[in-house]
Amino acid sequence: MADRDYARADRDYARRHLRFGWWSLLLFATLGLVLESLHGFKVSAYLDVSNETRRLMWTLAHAHGALLSMVHVLFGLSVRVAPEMGTRNRPLISMCLIGASIVLPGGFFLGGIGSYGGDPGVGVLFVPVGAAALLIALFLLARMAGAVRPAGKR
Amino acid sequence: MRSVICAGLLCFSAILGWSIVETREPYVPEARITYRPIQVQQDGYVSSDTCKACHPAQYDAWHASFHRTMTQVAVTPDTVRADFNGVRVTDVPGNPIALQRRGREFWAEFGDPDWDHQGSERPRIMRQIVMITGSHYQQVYWYRTDRTRVLGQLPATYLVAERRWIPRDAALLHPPVEMPASETGRWNAICVNCHATDGKRKFDAPDNVATAGTSAIVADTQVAEFGIACEACHGPAAEHVRRNRNPMTRYWQYLTGEADRSAIVQPARLKPALSSQVCGQCHGVWEHFDQSAERQANVSGLPYRPGDDLATTRLVVQPAKSQSSPTLRAILDAYPGYLNDSFWSDGMIRVSGREYNGLIDSPCFARATVEERTLSCFSCHTMHKTAADPRPTGEWAETHQVTPGMEGNGACLTCHAPIGTNLTAHTKHQPESSGSNCYNCHMPYTTYGLLRALRSHQISSPTVAASVSTGRPNACNACHLDKTLAWTQAQLETWYATPRVALSAEEETVAASLLWLLKGDAGQRALAAWSMGWTPARQASGTEWMAVPLSMLLNDPYDAVRQIAYRSLRSLPGFEGFQYDFLAPGRTRIADTMRALEASRRLPGPASRRRDPALLLDGSGAPRMDAIVRLGLQRNDRPVVLRE
Repeated sequence: MADRDYARADRDYARRHLRFGWWSLLLFATLGLVLESLHGFKVSAYLDVSNETRRLMWTLAHAHGALLSMVHVLFGLSVRVAPEMGTRNRPLISMCLIGASIVLPGGFFLGGIGSYGGDPGVGVLFVPVGAAALLIALFLLARMAGAVRPAGKR
Repeated sequence: MRSVICAGLLCFSAILGWSIVETREPYVPEARITYRPIQVQQDGYVSSDTCKACHPAQYDAWHASFHRTMTQVAVTPDTVRADFNGVRVTDVPGNPIALQRRGREFWAEFGDPDWDHQGSERPRIMRQIVMITGSHYQQVYWYRTDRTRVLGQLPATYLVAERRWIPRDAALLHPPVEMPASETGRWNAICVNCHATDGKRKFDAPDNVATAGTSAIVADTQVAEFGIACEACHGPAAEHVRRNRNPMTRYWQYLTGEADRSAIVQPARLKPALSSQVCGQCHGVWEHFDQSAERQANVSGLPYRPGDDLATTRLVVQPAKSQSSPTLRAILDAYPGYLNDSFWSDGMIRVSGREYNGLIDSPCFARATVEERTLSCFSCHTMHKTAADPRPTGEWAETHQVTPGMEGNGACLTCHAPIGTNLTAHTKHQPESSGSNCYNCHMPYTTYGLLRALRSHQISSPTVAASVSTGRPNACNACHLDKTLAWTQAQLETWYATPRVALSAEEETVAASLLWLLKGDAGQRALAAWSMGWTPARQASGTEWMAVPLSMLLNDPYDAVRQIAYRSLRSLPGFEGFQYDFLAPGRTRIADTMRALEASRRLPGPASRRRDPALLLDGSGAPRMDAIVRLGLQRNDRPVVLRE
């Protein structure tokens, strides 16, 4: 692949993750606002002790979603700043990060919709899948981080 | 500059950390507590904290219930209902009791109930409150004696609704005593059985607790949990927890509907007899079979576990059926009045908190042949508020945890549906009348406890014969307070062909309530006085004649009777502001009685007075004091002790 193609691919990845990250952050910040509103209006379906599992699951969905959004933004910026980072596995890393951002908070959210007493609903089974995808992406990124050259040597 | 900032941050962190440590409740591991009974997880018990992780809704309902607060060792401003801030309580044993707060702790100074009568006067002691029993109607406070885990009982009880302290003995119905006996060690010996889960008394000398003298009592009392917690009804849960620790196991059960019921008891799924025994382990009159069983229980706790046959683990006292029991014979040999303290003479339970005895002698239970139509505690009560119940959890707990739809006739009509199609044909009252409420006729207020009358849980039909033979108010006269037994007998004969019995001249001519109130024993007087404050009875009987008889009870020898009579009197029109202290000295009480009688002469006006000889009123509507006093002089003064 020519250098120009690499540069375009870098820009594509950076744009994709920056866009995904910011939109995702908007989505999960909105979820946070909705959860705060449920607190504000004392909605029993969210606040009753019997719905403690739902509250925990949706809080986790909000927290994980928001945090993963920022990981996307960081990844997008990293690709811009250090294009050599993770070049070879970038498609896999990108796919894993996006997958984790959907499946991990989504699993928490679905787990909170229906619950079995103190156990979340079966939707929570998506969570370990998302967690595995996130761990793969982070492992690959961490390994590649060592390949980043100092700014003056590029 | 940087070092200054670092030093500042360090100082700030140190101050913050110190303040957090100082303001936090100091945590003392339960095992290191030496001065009160402790919670120990053994015998397969895991505590409600473990149950909460998987069953939050059930935990929430239980947490709101009064079962949880039967005993509390968290003595905090949230759990203590009385004011301890420098309060001085007088007119109680140990007089005065000086209450005080010391930071987070609650303390009391009072005359030592365990005084050995050495020296000229009772020494005063200062003790820390370390345990509370009750939270609904009354609170009893227990102090550390620092003699192993033995607790002493503060000699005054706090009435929650009235917000007042009364002598501990005044909270119970029993003959007046000069100086009550020490109650030191009572929680360890008695309360532990039903105010805690899997309690073990662990006295070093279990056979002579009552006679050894309080200073000699040594106990290492332990419980699985304070209060009546999950495992009191579901059994020890350790095996259930172990089997369901793996999430895959749990989700397999959720998705297939194959719940693991092998290692935990669900009382509501047991057969009616066994499910009711779960409640009956505490809500019943029972005794150890013999001294050997009591010794075993002293060490290992009571052997009953939910799902067991209760009758194989202890004697459930049923006067009509237990007469041949060697256990009961031995008890009656030692204390002939034993049955009278808890039962009417025909064997019906007469004290509160023993509803299981009423249930098992009810025809709906005893004569039931079909399991689905057998009455059990769970027919009307639920231990966990259901999602379909719109009431707030607190209201559900306050209303005796009655299942939605079971508050009224729905409870009986579940089985007796045909009666509901024409209610009046059966009840002979208008459908909306309180006389058409099944409970009022078949579960009248004939049990006593907590300074009030409570519904009998032995389903019965009203008869005058039972009233004549046992002295127990029948449902008709407990509502129609202005009617005679003769009137009731005539009505029952006409409506239901109930056989007549011979009545005395007084029973023929004087309202039954007045006979119970003036001539009855202390238990009857208490019930009659309470009925005069009961709204349906007031609506059926009118109130304009009640002040005089109630006034006569203001000088009753029993504290409990005076207290109940005053409550009813104070709720009469014209007596709302009447001041009276049921604990005042006798001379003051006599003066108060005269004052009340004087006030009752002015109320109501002559125009609205009743002129009913059955109510001992003359032709002008004035009370016939000679007849009232004459009946009062015939008062049944047999000593009555009701073991609620």
